[in-house]
Amino acid sequence: MGSSMAAKIEYQTSSGTHSPWLIGILALLIPGGGHLLLKRFSRAVAAGGAIWITFIVGIMLGGHLYGSSNTATGFLTYVFSFCNMGSGLLYFISRVMSVGTEERAYLVTSEYGNIFIIVAGLLNYIFALDAFDIAAGRKQ
Amino acid sequence: MRHFLLMTIFACFVAIVFGAIGRETTHGRLLYGLKIFSEFVGVGLLIGWILYLIP
Repeated sequence: MGSSMAAKIEYQTSSGTHSPWLIGILALLIPGGGHLLLKRFSRAVAAGGAIWITFIVGIMLGGHLYGSSNTATGFLTYVFSFCNMGSGLLYFISRVMSVGTEERAYLVTSEYGNIFIIVAGLLNYIFALDAFDIAAGRKQ
Repeated sequence: MRHFLLMTIFACFVAIVFGAIGRETTHGRLLYGLKIFSEFVGVGLLIGWILYLIP
């Protein structure tokens, strides 16, 4: 049954050549990337751009990226790091380059920055699901 | 003022994403985005005033 559903999704792919799973994973890794591949340029630029800017503004405001190894805030660290990981490569590249990895609580806007980064990740989860739905033919 | 500005910027970006994925037509997206934006800012101001008045 699983394979028939997968075949059905594959069959309904609106782009014709790309698997919905490929689109979904690309959209997760690069905000707006899935929609670009689906030729939904205005949506990719507007919403994908908004997610990128939200993430970058969050870093500039002094927000920091949560890692699963840093359990300073207890269980919530895992929740926050899951939210952060929604930004895909933005998160992983920032962590590799040590950008936004240190907590800057001395900045007045650091809590705002944390929320901006967390919400950027959550928005990208929704946006990636939207790309998957378009690729699967469930949405225009 | 900085808090309100940041809240407005935040509402703007979230409204853009929700507007883009929430409706199918351009007109519908614009209206839905504006609705989300005004709800964010309006509810934020309302909660701010409620908390201000609570001693």
